Amino acid sequence: MSRALYTAAPPRTVWESINPLRMIGELSETRYWMYLLLLPSALLITAVVLYPTLYGFQMSFREMRLNRPDVGTDWVFFKHYIRMVNDPIFWLSLRNTAIWVTSSIALEFLIGLTAALALNRNLPGTKLLAVLILLPYFLPNVVAGHMWGLMLDPRLGVINDLLMRVGLLDGYKAWFADPKTAMAAAIIVESWHSFPFFTLLIMAGLKGIPADLYKAADIDGAGPLAQLRLITLPMLKTIIAAAVILRVIGLVNSPDLLLILTSGGPGRSTQVLSLYAFQMAYKDFNFGYAGALSVVMFVLLMGFAWIYVRLSKVNED
Amino acid sequence: MTTRFGRRSILQMGGGLLAASALLPRYAFAQAKTINYWHTFTSQSEQAGLDAVRALFTAAHPDITVIPENIPNPEFMAKITAAVVANTRPSVTMVSSERFQDLRAMGALTDITDRVSGWERRGDFDDSRFASITDDGKVYGVPAFTFVDWIYYRKDWFEEAGIAVPTTLAELHDAAVKLTDPAKGRYGFGLRGGPGGQNPVINMMEAFGSPVLHADGTIGLDRDKAIEGVTFYASLLKDGAAPPSAPNDGFRQIIEGFQTGQTAMIYHHTGSYQDIASKLKPGVEFGTMAIPAGPVTRVARLAYAYNTITKPEDADAAWEWIKFWGEPDAAVAFLEKTGYFPASTVAAQDQRIVGNPMYAAAAETLGFGIPQPSFPGAAGWAESTVLPAFQRVLIGDATPEQAVDEMIAGLAEASQ
Repeated sequence: MSRALYTAAPPRTVWESINPLRMIGELSETRYWMYLLLLPSALLITAVVLYPTLYGFQMSFREMRLNRPDVGTDWVFFKHYIRMVNDPIFWLSLRNTAIWVTSSIALEFLIGLTAALALNRNLPGTKLLAVLILLPYFLPNVVAGHMWGLMLDPRLGVINDLLMRVGLLDGYKAWFADPKTAMAAAIIVESWHSFPFFTLLIMAGLKGIPADLYKAADIDGAGPLAQLRLITLPMLKTIIAAAVILRVIGLVNSPDLLLILTSGGPGRSTQVLSLYAFQMAYKDFNFGYAGALSVVMFVLLMGFAWIYVRLSKVNED
Repeated sequence: MTTRFGRRSILQMGGGLLAASALLPRYAFAQAKTINYWHTFTSQSEQAGLDAVRALFTAAHPDITVIPENIPNPEFMAKITAAVVANTRPSVTMVSSERFQDLRAMGALTDITDRVSGWERRGDFDDSRFASITDDGKVYGVPAFTFVDWIYYRKDWFEEAGIAVPTTLAELHDAAVKLTDPAKGRYGFGLRGGPGGQNPVINMMEAFGSPVLHADGTIGLDRDKAIEGVTFYASLLKDGAAPPSAPNDGFRQIIEGFQTGQTAMIYHHTGSYQDIASKLKPGVEFGTMAIPAGPVTRVARLAYAYNTITKPEDADAAWEWIKFWGEPDAAVAFLEKTGYFPASTVAAQDQRIVGNPMYAAAAETLGFGIPQPSFPGAAGWAESTVLPAFQRVLIGDATPEQAVDEMIAGLAEASQ
């Protein structure tokens, strides 16, 4: 038997030398196999991410107004960026974006963490509650937006009716028509819709924390709040950092909920950068300026992610 | 007797069937064609109107199948722009007059001048009906129906308060104030300050003497007159005659406010007639009036919805569909389901229309109504500049002077 192992392999037939399965098998033994496996994803990413991103970058340096073919599509270099510096709507949108993203994520994180901690107790009925809590996240933004638009409707909305019945309101309140309440109302809707994202990730993280740590903390006399501060949150740091970055990217980039609820109004009080870029592209057809706005959003997001990762020190683990 | 099939006979039969199958489908389906139709109809009545026209069309043209695709108004320009850029255009697209210049400029529309010239029903349409879809002598669409601006008012409330139907904007303001009673949850005027509210603002400025597009084709606003128009229109909210929700109220909110007895008047067009008549009794609980005159001129828009060919490959079947909307039976069927007025002057004389007193205000408006100002960038300027600037006045964030300055600057930029 063992001698047979050392005998020379018989010469390959013609079929064996061109058999694709055999060739793939041999290739899988080489270091090129990894590149071959990555090739489809790389091609896909190039086609749907890299090319559009680079195209968007170059568009921001050109004149590109779809409804004005007479002005051409020449290179204008930094014209759109210079305009942006002097555009009060851009600065207002930037400020509103900061409020919209920071407040929404803070609220989503708080509600999501609370829900995850409660569901992690494994009390009776928590599995059913977990499904119910996750339901809002399954709703598309458009459905959630229209649903809340009706619930907060000043005339027909159930929220106004309930608040009036319990005596918190004297008359109906037009939440989205008042600049003092429009952004706050939109943030509440967004938080309701997306807090399950935090719940889901934090619950997964909680399952990975060893129970021994909590037992030891109990013996040392640490209360629930101390355990949360000294064990739970530090152990969830990586998950929280990833969740926050993903939500920031999602919130900065998607204007759909605000588009449905307020269209940026009243009087631009809920105008955010993504909505402004969308309106520039599809209402004014100025794709050059919209491209420049998108590039600024891209750079801001990259900068945020880099600073956030460094500050949260997740890599030090 | 037993029939026996040999190999030869089976081969012969197969050959015969193959030859027949090559001929039969060509005969049966040579003329069959499917076209898709992008439209912005959303309400039940509009859908019913479209179904009625399709049913008549299918009876007349069984060889052509029309597949309608609803594109909600707020998303329309984004979708059609993407379709044009990606060359995935629909066969036929409904285009409102204020969008024409933008779509023509981006090359979305097909020149159908020759088809329209040779059309047997061309004489049924006044030349003015084609003005908003013609550029440089080329015609790009066929008018399907007309948006006639008018005002719905609570006839019973007016009679109860002894108020005459307003004929001027000043009278309208007075009536709105008198009919307001917050204790009863009643407001005189359902002001549309949210999505879609830009057009009445432009109309008010023009009624006070500041048209956007001048007779010589130049574009610009008369600052002082525009300020008067904006001040007047915003005063309806400032004086408490409009609901506090006005800065965010769009189509749904103003229609529901009127249907549910919260507002006495709303400014809209004939297209919402059937929706309102489904909740309130025509001629008893509500009436219709022509837009009252402003201090300088009377402005009511006659905006046309056009059907255009956006995919030249489907032009022949598409042409059959778009010209069918000009048939009197189709136009009246659509009117009966929706309230949208026919664009054809012949169809507008139909007894089912002239015999209905509720349409008298629309018929009157056909005599003095004017088209929307149309130039490349007009729709974007109205939506992205005029509306937010006016909203800022409504919420007290800007004075009418500041709002008009913003509109003038935005207009200069849009028309650069």
